[in-house]
Amino acid sequence: MSDKGYFGPYGGRYVPEVLRRAVEEIEAAFEEAQQDSSFQKELMRLQKEFIGRPTPLLYAENSSRFLKGADIYIKMEGLAHTGAHKINNAMGQALLAKRMGKTRVIAETGAGQHGLATAAACAKLGLDCTIYMGAVDVDRQQPNVATMELFGAHVVPVHTGSRTLKDAINEAFRDWAASFVDTFYIIGSALGPSPYPDMVRTFQSVIGFEVRAQLAERQLTPDALVACVGGGSNAIGFFAPYLDTEIPRLIGVEAGGRGPAPGDHAARMTGDGARTGIVHGYKSRFLLTEDGQVAPTHSISAGLDYPGIGPQLAALGRSGRIEFRRAGDQEALEALQFFARHEGVVFALESAHAGAAAIALARSLPRGKVVVVNMSGRGDKDLFITAPYFRPTEWAAFLRRELEALQNKEALRRQAPAGPEVHYG
Amino acid sequence: MDEIRLMAHLVAGYPDVSGCLAAAIGLVEGGASYLEVQIPFSDPSADGPAIQNACAQALAEGYSVAQALDFIAELHIRYPNIALFVMTYASIVVTPGVESFVRTLARRGVSGIIVPDLPFDADEGLDAACRREGTITAIPVAAPSMRAERLAHMAALGRPYLYAALRTGITGKSTTIDEETLRFLGACSAGGSRVLGGFGIRSHAQALAVRSLVHAVVVGSAFVEVISHANELYHNSPRARDEAIRTNLAHGVQELVSGPP
Ligand SMILES: Cc1ncc(COP(=O)(O)O)c(C=O)c1O
Repeated sequence: MSDKGYFGPYGGRYVPEVLRRAVEEIEAAFEEAQQDSSFQKELMRLQKEFIGRPTPLLYAENSSRFLKGADIYIKMEGLAHTGAHKINNAMGQALLAKRMGKTRVIAETGAGQHGLATAAACAKLGLDCTIYMGAVDVDRQQPNVATMELFGAHVVPVHTGSRTLKDAINEAFRDWAASFVDTFYIIGSALGPSPYPDMVRTFQSVIGFEVRAQLAERQLTPDALVACVGGGSNAIGFFAPYLDTEIPRLIGVEAGGRGPAPGDHAARMTGDGARTGIVHGYKSRFLLTEDGQVAPTHSISAGLDYPGIGPQLAALGRSGRIEFRRAGDQEALEALQFFARHEGVVFALESAHAGAAAIALARSLPRGKVVVVNMSGRGDKDLFITAPYFRPTEWAAFLRRELEALQNKEALRRQAPAGPEVHYG
Repeated sequence: MDEIRLMAHLVAGYPDVSGCLAAAIGLVEGGASYLEVQIPFSDPSADGPAIQNACAQALAEGYSVAQALDFIAELHIRYPNIALFVMTYASIVVTPGVESFVRTLARRGVSGIIVPDLPFDADEGLDAACRREGTITAIPVAAPSMRAERLAHMAALGRPYLYAALRTGITGKSTTIDEETLRFLGACSAGGSRVLGGFGIRSHAQALAVRSLVHAVVVGSAFVEVISHANELYHNSPRARDEAIRTNLAHGVQELVSGPP
């Protein structure tokens, strides 16, 4: 828990006055909801029935044997509904929005996973939903855009700035400044002005508490936990039960991208690319230029290329409780293949960064040690990135055939009059 | 006399180095009493689309904070009697260090700094640094959605200036002046601060409605749009463009200050 919104030197509530009241109202409502057993009961029901919790903890037997080191366990968070841990937070905040009497939800999204989760939660709870998404991301994540629209969300492409996640956050703040009377802003990671980092961690901590119970059932205690770190929500939720203990080792993995040159990665806690700054309402470590402009980043995974990191993770990195590593694009792809071949499990590209670090760590530890890696998402969503990489020729041919088929169908449709439309309700 | 005291806002580096100088000249010639120079930031989340795009375009051309500081120094030399304020975001201020940034501004003749995402009670030492310089002041930004106690607290700081954002939202759209707004402006000036009232004002008529409640009226987006328009019309002739920016802004300011001819 933060101390008045701060985690050591980081955190805070650096928002224009126009937004302060909206944030304070959320803080009060969140604290009340935490004490309210009917809210908690409803959230637990939705976690079970809608999200599909608990997600399994898989013993990666073949991988462990192959690596001749520690035992690897995979927290199968990607089996949660909509394919990633993002739904834990989206559902928690959407339920809070409803409790506050808000009728409309806004959210930002990069890869589309948080947008997807928010759109699903809003469809389920009957909330109007608008998702801001950078125009570049809209173009490269069409499958997620299509599904969000299927859930009834309005997906608004953002054409300003770098037209990616950070610009979608700015646009969501802009909307909120004019709409907070009836609108709740669901931030998708453990960052932003206080109380968001505390709130997001709380909703994501279900991951860590489940892991602890699942290990205890097998009479195991973990030696190390490994998670990828974009904004940091899956990591902080996974680590949550262990933040005040000395073991296990907690390892956060950032995107090493193409290499250490500025603009080629998104590493804020390793190397010397980051500075302490204030962006998006909180103080933390950011990738900034000398002038203080937010710097460009790169990662093969759209979920890890955010230029900042949640304030609590930054503070725990500084204090030494969390160790940070980086894994590059290539290492992530190799880890993705490794677990697919050995375990029949396809990691999301984000999570594959944690997978890469877990492989290296397991190799370096003796047998009998327990390493748990959080597979924050499953890899289905990345097909359009991984397929061109693993099978470029076949994939190109497939896309060409699909496009032709679609164009033929369009041509036919234009000739023949449309059939009757179906309406329900 | 129905003259309005005007604080004119412009984005440093937009549309480019010569264009923003032409803009400043036009604004002063038209009769602006104060200039508010925005130093572009990559993520200006409290600004509306017009200003945001202006900032993005300046940065896309590689415009730096150092260039903005040179621009400001030049304005101060040209117009030593026009008060110069700087508006920017926390990241631009804290990255070089608050103390050093404030000193740099003060040395270039800036008399006020506005940073909407540095709250007055968590300002990273902005106010203290300004006091040490003596010739520059930190200007807090109030909004109508503030709780009454907090607004009273802000007003009671008694800073020389207080910036009042008239609309619950962002710059760009227009303002209607109702009872609630009038009450808000009254609360802003309760501590004796001179209130700079802004966001959304576009016409002499609108400005007249708040004139007696504020020290100066701030106009931003409307002028940025004038610049954008000139920039589109004359994109292949920088000299004609700069001339259009200067004269159109001078007329725009004149009309805002004195009413339609
Ligand atoms: C599967 C997956 N893992 C991780 C992340 C990174 O976010 P965070 O660091 O908040 O968990 C994302 C973000 O989109 C994601 O989709």
